[in-house]
Amino acid sequence: MQNRSILIVADHAQDKVKPAGYEAIACALQLGSFHQLRVLAVVIGDQPELPAQEIAQKAGLDVIAAQTPGLAAYNGELYRAVLSNLLDELDPAYVCAAHSSQGADFAPGLAARRGAACITALERVSFDADRVIFSRGASGGKLVAELISTARLTVITVQPGAFRSEFDNSSTPGSIEVRTVQFQPKRSRSLGFKPGPAGDKGLSEARVIVAAGRGIGKLENLSLIRDLAAAFPRSAVGGSRPVCDMGWLEYKSQIGLTGATVSPELYIACGISGTAQHVAGIRDAGFVVAINSDPNAAIFNAADLCIVEDLTTFIPTLLAALHKQP
Amino acid sequence: MKLLVCVKPVVDLETMPGPHYLRSGSSGNGTTRYRINNFDEFALEEGLRIKEACPGTTLDVITVAPQNAGSVLTRALGMGADHAIHVLLELEGYVSPSVVAHLITQRAKEAGYNLILAGVMAEDDMHAQVGPMIAELLSVPVATAVVHQAVLDEGRAVYVEREIEGGEREALELVLPAVLTVQTGINRPRYPSLSKYLRAKKQQPETIHAAAQRAIDPPETLLRVTEPQKLRTGLILEGTPEEKATRLLGILREKALIPEERHAEP
Ligand SMILES: Cc1cc2nc3c(=O)[nH]c(=O)nc-3n(C[C@H](O)[C@H](O)[C@H](O)COP(=O)(O)OP(=O)(O)OC[C@H]3O[C@@H](n4cnc5c(N)ncnc54)[C@H](O)[C@@H]3O)c2cc1C
Ligand SMILES: Nc1ncnc2c1ncn2[C@@H]1O[C@H](COP(=O)(O)O)[C@@H](O)[C@H]1O
Repeated sequence: MQNRSILIVADHAQDKVKPAGYEAIACALQLGSFHQLRVLAVVIGDQPELPAQEIAQKAGLDVIAAQTPGLAAYNGELYRAVLSNLLDELDPAYVCAAHSSQGADFAPGLAARRGAACITALERVSFDADRVIFSRGASGGKLVAELISTARLTVITVQPGAFRSEFDNSSTPGSIEVRTVQFQPKRSRSLGFKPGPAGDKGLSEARVIVAAGRGIGKLENLSLIRDLAAAFPRSAVGGSRPVCDMGWLEYKSQIGLTGATVSPELYIACGISGTAQHVAGIRDAGFVVAINSDPNAAIFNAADLCIVEDLTTFIPTLLAALHKQP
Repeated sequence: MKLLVCVKPVVDLETMPGPHYLRSGSSGNGTTRYRINNFDEFALEEGLRIKEACPGTTLDVITVAPQNAGSVLTRALGMGADHAIHVLLELEGYVSPSVVAHLITQRAKEAGYNLILAGVMAEDDMHAQVGPMIAELLSVPVATAVVHQAVLDEGRAVYVEREIEGGEREALELVLPAVLTVQTGINRPRYPSLSKYLRAKKQQPETIHAAAQRAIDPPETLLRVTEPQKLRTGLILEGTPEEKATRLLGILREKALIPEERHAEP
């Protein structure tokens, strides 16, 4: 390991480093202090200077600003090519990126190209004697798999929200090295972005959200969810992705990583297993109640109040109790 | 065109507590029940739609799995795949996604597929690695989390939209051959047709013994499987359903999350 480094690839958009980018830095610093390795960042893009300065200032890291003329946004083919060249030069022990739509896209291919180990959606690192143990969610977050890398290089994507990143500008600012890299993707062409479904104002303004998961079993049971929501003023109905995939709810009602991020005072998750992708959307919810028939469901690890019941019988019981309040 | 769809058998957790790799090393002839990874049903359906739209297209399905997981291939043939390939593993248990990608790539190289479809991720391991790794090993482009695709120019390219954070979409065009990893919701997967399924049950898949393949050493190993740490310290309500309902309402009332007027009735 000696004299090797850790390279972090910063997720950025509109001249700013994304929070997930700083979380990847936080993970890299943990690994760095364990192995005594230097952490170095790379920002790739048409105009990488601003995000590079931000990292050099905030986190005190040395940054390579890889300026790639013509790359308006992200392109996987280009990222892999630029990074692979950097790996030839730097021979780092780890590459860290966010487990985002970008990191999850380029990291496995980069690892395959280099014969590296690939640890995706990393949630925790721990250290046991002289080795690093990588913990990541499995089976919808019900279990944690602990992995060990046996390769010379390990490519890591860091699960958003799993590492705390607090940088207070207190360290000495790092240096910035701007390099121009000419690379034209040959087999892929980025054609820009399209907006997702328009946001549901009901969800963003709701004080209470009752959310349906695949566990509602059938479309007819959605009425239970609607009835429960109706018991609260300023409430809305949301759902997990499969419920929207099946057409039971519109996509604008989907909550999670690829749907809406919500912050109601009360969130009631009904028949939702609680995978990281769903929970990503409810981190800012005030109080979370989960109703699930499986006592081991991961949603119970993210809930304030856990109710192990069949929702098809429990919600009617709850509604009955609500209506005969003293 | 020649299409390949990668399908991973996953253990139905509702019928089997604990993931398959908990029992790493057990024989592959056991009684574990497998079904197709949910994401792969969407990938297979998308492949079948391309096959139906482009005459002369053949669709193969491939799985890297122990003997008794071969049933997923029967289902895939029942849905309409033309040919099934079983890369046979001796044992059940954790297999590195890098190893899976190498095994699939070896077979894919021989056949020269125009388009390879995989799921975004496996429901059990949740790596989201195998698709993009195959693309790299074949030196072809990849798009991940695809929610829309259209084959262009008689199979020379494919237009795709991939889903990014917040449901936004990124559009791109890939030169074929290429790999796509398919996101759920792109279509509504069909059920197997009875006649095809019955025919499939009599068919033997093409079998390749993984042990006889040029293998790579797995770059990572599974140390153990544990339970997650809790994000919040949730209170678990005990008692009968009625008691739980009353407790829940009491707590919500304390927190002023239940409207006053409801229990202020005369
Ligand atoms: C890139 C990517 C992005 C994604 N983005 C999102 C996203 O934005 N939002 C999202 O939700 N998902 C997203 N997903 C999908 C996510 O990984 C899960 O597949 C999904 O959240 C699972 O939905 P679910 O909990 O409703 O279904 P399941 O995981 O099938 O869970 C159903 C639950 O219901 C319980 N249940 C069953 N019957 C009953 C009953 N009678 N009473 C009570 N409980 C019952 C079961 O115990 C189980 O826990 C994404 C996935 C990927 C790969
Ligand atoms: N053992 C396997 N056999 C066939 N395809 C697989 C296998 N493992 C993964 N895949 C494919 O790769 C996708 C992503 O899996 P993973 O990288 O394990 O999350 C799955 O949706 C499948 O399409």
